Amino acid sequence: MNPRPVCRDGVEQLMDYLEGTLPDADRALIEEHVASCPRCVAFVESYRRTPEILRRATLAELPDDLAASLHRFLASRR
Amino acid sequence: MSVPVAAEDDEALAARAAAGDEAAFEKLVDRYQARVYRLAFRLTGGDADAKDVLQEAFLSAYRALPTFRGESRFSSWLYRIATNAALMNRRARARRPADSLESLLPRFDADGRHCGEPADIGAASRAEEVLDRKRLAEKARAGLDRLPELYRDAFVLRDLQELPTHEVAEVLGIAPAAVRQRVHRARLMLRGYLTELAGGKA
Repeated sequence: MNPRPVCRDGVEQLMDYLEGTLPDADRALIEEHVASCPRCVAFVESYRRTPEILRRATLAELPDDLAASLHRFLASRR
Repeated sequence: MSVPVAAEDDEALAARAAAGDEAAFEKLVDRYQARVYRLAFRLTGGDADAKDVLQEAFLSAYRALPTFRGESRFSSWLYRIATNAALMNRRARARRPADSLESLLPRFDADGRHCGEPADIGAASRAEEVLDRKRLAEKARAGLDRLPELYRDAFVLRDLQELPTHEVAEVLGIAPAAVRQRVHRARLMLRGYLTELAGGKA
């Protein structure tokens, strides 16, 4: 890998970085780049927040009446 | 959701259910119906479709129980059935293909540096401040609908249902590295989508 990573390299490896599957040397290079790049800081924050925002926005609880009707539905087909 | 330590484990219940114990199957339904419903809602984007997928998934699981060998976790096996039921539901609706989110991937200049200013690049982080809850919920469903199918299942299971990567790999029957690659692409596209919604430049 390029010894002086640019933004694009960090973006490509961001998932592996966050999951902890990136080799230590690559990890250190990315951290060094991000520390001096306000654009990457903003990018990483928005990348991390994307799943959280969508998780909250798509949360649906099982309606009570559906839980009861599921049991009836399954019982009727056994 | 915490399960009491003394509770019978899923695999033991599944074995009893496969042998014809109806009460054991009922217990599995009680244990998983809320999680399967949330998954179905996120994969289909609607209450009515989520209900159909929920019923179809448990009915299919009931019928397939004799083939459950315990080679994977019961939960992975059930989520796989539910994911397939959601896929069938989506296909049956024969929807017109939505505009893909591919165009919202991050942009770089010729040297590989981010285009735009930090405030624009980070706009997705402010989506909940810019849009009210109801509007964001509608947009979130529309955004998931626009994800390429390949990435949607992996993203929903990993990031919205919060299954660990190795379990998503088990559900989808692919390698953990492939899960990470698909989830990463989905995150990049949805980040671009939220950026646009929040008024920034992807």
